Amino acid sequence: MYYVARVDEEKCATYNCKQCTLFCPEANTLMFDEKKNSAYVNEPRCKGCALCVYVCSDLLKRDCITMEMVTTE
Amino acid sequence: MGLRYVQPAPGFKQYLPKDYVDLIDFGPFGKEVDASQLGQFKEILEEHPMCAGCWMAYFVRVFYASLPNPEDTIVLGTAGCARLALSQAAVPFIYGNYGDTNAVASGLTRALNLRFPDKQKDVVAIAGDGGLMDIGFSMTMHSWFRREKFTTIMVDNEVYGNTGGQESGMSPKGVQLKMAPKGKKFDKLPATELAKLAGCVYVVKIAPTNIKRLSKVIKRAILAARHFGPTFIHAYTSCNIEYSIPTEEVLKDAREREKKDFGFEEYMTDEVRAFFEEIEKKKKEVRA
Ligand SMILES: Cc1ncc(C[n+]2csc(CCOP(=O)(O)OP(=O)(O)O)c2C)c(N)n1
Ligand code: SF4
Ligand code: SF4
Ligand code: SF4
Ligand SMILES: [Mg+2]
Repeated sequence: MYYVARVDEEKCATYNCKQCTLFCPEANTLMFDEKKNSAYVNEPRCKGCALCVYVCSDLLKRDCITMEMVTTE
Repeated sequence: MGLRYVQPAPGFKQYLPKDYVDLIDFGPFGKEVDASQLGQFKEILEEHPMCAGCWMAYFVRVFYASLPNPEDTIVLGTAGCARLALSQAAVPFIYGNYGDTNAVASGLTRALNLRFPDKQKDVVAIAGDGGLMDIGFSMTMHSWFRREKFTTIMVDNEVYGNTGGQESGMSPKGVQLKMAPKGKKFDKLPATELAKLAGCVYVVKIAPTNIKRLSKVIKRAILAARHFGPTFIHAYTSCNIEYSIPTEEVLKDAREREKKDFGFEEYMTDEVRAFFEEIEKKKKEVRA
């Protein structure tokens, strides 16, 4: 079991924002879909640091990212 | 940027690994991308084993997205955490003995000038505080005294992170670390002052909190080194493991340190300033 970040894509799309994608320490992980106008997480690459939650919730007060527990089958 | 060095021969693309194909189709090659578009193109940096939430890993990510010309760049690293990610990118990487980055980079820069006299090759040495200011100190200083034309970047986590928490010359006075339990007795070395005295033509101190500014100084350091002499960036890249910073607070810590003792400083010689002004002027003319 480990934590990954998940973006509420519908909520994120209501903002014009790409901020979290600029602060993730991992490459090719927290991506931005221009068609959906939303950030999304490439989950197998996420290390669960929650820095993106700090950016979205603490700095921007937008609360679109949550940390969720996943299990490998 | 050209696509040639990642472009496979016709017919071979279908047999290549997905990450390689993604790099061809969605990578930065042949396009004008910059670090403020991270998350919207396939980065040349790949997966690596640096810790979750590591600000040094973040620095490496922004570094690779900021290279003015990655296909003609050679990166040198040494023992320490950064090389774990530096080596995982689509850019040639050289790994020597601990602390010898600036000696190897000096020879390499000269050799590249002889071998490719009509081509600009960018050489960048990136190492930790232990690598550059302790064990590699003499090589760092002599590359500067000799005015070798390459960029040196110190990713300063104020500790020997990779070996479990010994104090370095860059650890702040008084700090207690796992393997320095009595607390450090001496001040942090004045790295940027040493760089200026030793002849670096462009010197920056920065806490990575603003990606545009960080990316700009990385580009500037590399461009100035091409023409004028040694350049140096001193970046605060915390070690959340050895300094017990909760990972979600790593950016908050960098912002606090920026206010306290890592405020942005940018020094350049007059000729370097004139060179950048000329570039900015040309860019404005193109836009107009
Ligand atoms: C000649 C030599 N001495 C010692 C070591 C062990 N060693 C590996 S990394 C390291 C310190 C790393 O500290 P720093 O340069 O600050 O990099 P960090 O891991 O903190 O990023 C040491 C002493 C080595 N690899 N080679
Ligand atoms: S910071 Fe929040 S609102 Fe902004 S792009 Fe990221 S998830 Fe969306
Ligand atoms: S939790 Fe960390 S690694 Fe995962 S997407 Fe957020 S910032 Fe990136
Ligand atoms: S030990 Fe510290 S500097 Fe090294 S990868 Fe982990 S957090 Fe980063
Ligand atoms: Mg260190």
